[in-house]
Amino acid sequence: MKTREKILLALIIISLALLAVILSFGALGAVPLKTIRPLGSFYLYFMANNNIVIQEIYPSITKPSDFWAASTEGITAILWDYRGLDTLFETSVFFFAIIGSVSVFRYYSVSLEEKNKKNTNNSSTNTKTSGQGLSLIVKLITRINFVVIIAVSASIAFHGQLTPGGGFQGGATLAVAPLLAIAALSRYFVEDVGLKKNTMLTIRTLGLLIIGLLALTPLIMGFAGGNPYIMENQPKSWAMFIGFPSFGLGVLLGSLAFYNMAELLAVGAGFTVVFLLLTLPEEFFKKILSREVGKQ
Amino acid sequence: MIEEYLEKILWTYMFFVIIATFGVSIYGIVFRPNMLKKIIALTIFGDTANVFMIFIGYRAIYPIKPPVLWTSHPDKNVLNTFVSQSIDPVPPALVITAIVINMAITLLITFLAIQAYRLYGSLDVRDLSKLKG
Repeated sequence: MKTREKILLALIIISLALLAVILSFGALGAVPLKTIRPLGSFYLYFMANNNIVIQEIYPSITKPSDFWAASTEGITAILWDYRGLDTLFETSVFFFAIIGSVSVFRYYSVSLEEKNKKNTNNSSTNTKTSGQGLSLIVKLITRINFVVIIAVSASIAFHGQLTPGGGFQGGATLAVAPLLAIAALSRYFVEDVGLKKNTMLTIRTLGLLIIGLLALTPLIMGFAGGNPYIMENQPKSWAMFIGFPSFGLGVLLGSLAFYNMAELLAVGAGFTVVFLLLTLPEEFFKKILSREVGKQ
Repeated sequence: MIEEYLEKILWTYMFFVIIATFGVSIYGIVFRPNMLKKIIALTIFGDTANVFMIFIGYRAIYPIKPPVLWTSHPDKNVLNTFVSQSIDPVPPALVITAIVINMAITLLITFLAIQAYRLYGSLDVRDLSKLKG
């Protein structure tokens, strides 16, 4: 190890030790606390409470419906209702990350299946799924799991405003289904059932478009008056937007449920695009890449 | 008295583990020449930061519950019980944003690393830094 590296390592160790000392002297207050912090307590009191005034704790608030998010799940309420703009930009970061990844793999314009067909001169034998993937038992179990995973992910996303979960978590679970199918049944099967790159990109854009429209809906309805703001969920006394339905099918909804459904589509399809690109065979890619480099 | 003392030791141990993991991940980012190892260390760093945030939001009480209300029409007693037992929901809400951003960044740099390997046949930063143009 060189002297420069040794100094660097020593600096890292010293700074971490300093951090430990600062923390143990209570830089963040007593961690963990026994009581709850005032901000957290405020969110917890008002996220699902539109009719009871907690006069002893918050005497100045006479209208709790100004702060309610129509959600029984505290973290979702904070994410979409109290700091929704942050979440909107977070979705934008995810959008640009996928766009960036796809643009790195821009050479990939035809599906693997079509490419193989051209190579075999349209032979009449069914080369698509036969002889690909793992054993029959694994294939069968994967087919069953494929459906179950989709059902579970839908459940996670559609209950997102009531229980832990939500659009992103549901979408991430949904993307496991094609990943499992790629591993067990081969990439041909996945492309065969219609999960192609361009289809997935379209679904993802559709999901993001719905999110954008949902965010802008209060502003569009604001042309009729009421002074609403972007991403408004429930009516406020200072911005009288009619509000997203706070009860539907006997459960709380708000805008949160609709965002979750759109996010499920966007994230699920986005991850599937990434998995499809990552499982491209190296030879296939190298052939295209060498041709592209040769052109320059 | 002994219980409080034990609790203190447990939390100090937690701090130690989190800071040690920070140390390992920073070592990986700074000293490992392989890009893939750097990326793995970066994800460990991000996840440790998230665990640290969750740790800040936790409360040293029993019973402790997630911030999920069990009724859509809460009365005063229900709300007071709920707030007295729930964790602080603000740090987990920050973490969930951080997870998505972390994932997006990891995704992008992984793709760039794959592309670099395909074009130049190496993931060693010492080799890649010699490239011109």
